[in-house]
Amino acid sequence: MDANDKNEKTSIQTASLLDVLLAFLKIGGTAFGGSTQALVYREVVENRRWLSEEQFLAGQAIAQVLPGANPVNLALYIGLQINGRLGAIAAVLGMVIPAFFIILGMGFAYREMSGLDVTHYVLGGVAAAAVGATLSMGFKTGRKLRRNAKTFIVAALVFVAIGLLRWPMIPVVIIAVPLSIWLAWLDVREAK
Amino acid sequence: MDNKLLGLFIVFAPLSLLSFGGGQAIVADIQYQTVEVHGYLTNQQFADLFAVSRAAPGPSTLIAALIGYQVAGFWGAIASCIGIYLPSSLLVYGLANWWQRKGDTPLKKAVERGLAPVAVGLIFAGALAIIRAANVGPLEIVTLALCTAIFYFTKWGSYTVIFSVAGIFLAIYFITT
Repeated sequence: MDANDKNEKTSIQTASLLDVLLAFLKIGGTAFGGSTQALVYREVVENRRWLSEEQFLAGQAIAQVLPGANPVNLALYIGLQINGRLGAIAAVLGMVIPAFFIILGMGFAYREMSGLDVTHYVLGGVAAAAVGATLSMGFKTGRKLRRNAKTFIVAALVFVAIGLLRWPMIPVVIIAVPLSIWLAWLDVREAK
Repeated sequence: MDNKLLGLFIVFAPLSLLSFGGGQAIVADIQYQTVEVHGYLTNQQFADLFAVSRAAPGPSTLIAALIGYQVAGFWGAIASCIGIYLPSSLLVYGLANWWQRKGDTPLKKAVERGLAPVAVGLIFAGALAIIRAANVGPLEIVTLALCTAIFYFTKWGSYTVIFSVAGIFLAIYFITT
């Protein structure tokens, strides 16, 4: 066995379904907000060596591009790579279950306290702060868009149709997504 | 009860396939469907639950579980979760291997670039939906503007900011009443 071969053997480890479930329960129970991807990376790539860096990055791209919650998509992709279909199910359940029960607890607390004025008052403040987070995310991702009139117009039209005119989202997105991909396709081909 | 479970599933399942970039993108339609179309929640409840979901760990799409719980208890939360996660998960499952094999093709690049502006438009529409649903006074507007700037220009953790704001609002409430 040469050195390279040995390296290959130690770099990627196999895992049982239970391993996958426990690893993702740990991630799901400790990941707050934007920290999820960093935690998944540390656990799955660095600590347990279930995936190579490249596999992880491909998974991250897929998780972001396709619809669905990024952490859930990422868990599904990784579980699928490690252990096939059942691995995907174990990873997704591990990722969702801890947060699910925490949020149920908070939902219960909200029910108990929703009669109080102070609850609405404080949650109004929290909502304002959270909208601030949403807006800043919109500005940040907006800045990363290709700088041309087409992408700006697509983003603006989607905002006006759904945000201002309050058109239903599904038909708007069904028209906007292919249109936007087609415009991007023209750009990509032109750049070649 | 059963109708509500099915109704929750039907509200969230299509949105699952439209949640590009996660829960931010579909907030506007969640408000529209649950408040205006189905009347499951009042605007006040929707804004409250949005705030609760933001103070909780986990993906922002878990607002579906919270709404489901409020509307139909534990099974409502389960029905909503299945609705919000199952369709997108099946799609990711179906496409994961194909997408990875595809490499760096122009089509793939076009799909990635083409989805981005739609997602940005949806994010701003979602922010506006919350502002409309919540009771926004001068204090909330100042908070919103300040927090937007903080999240944009600093690396402060979102939980630090959100719990600080909760603390400040709690203090203001008890001082002024």
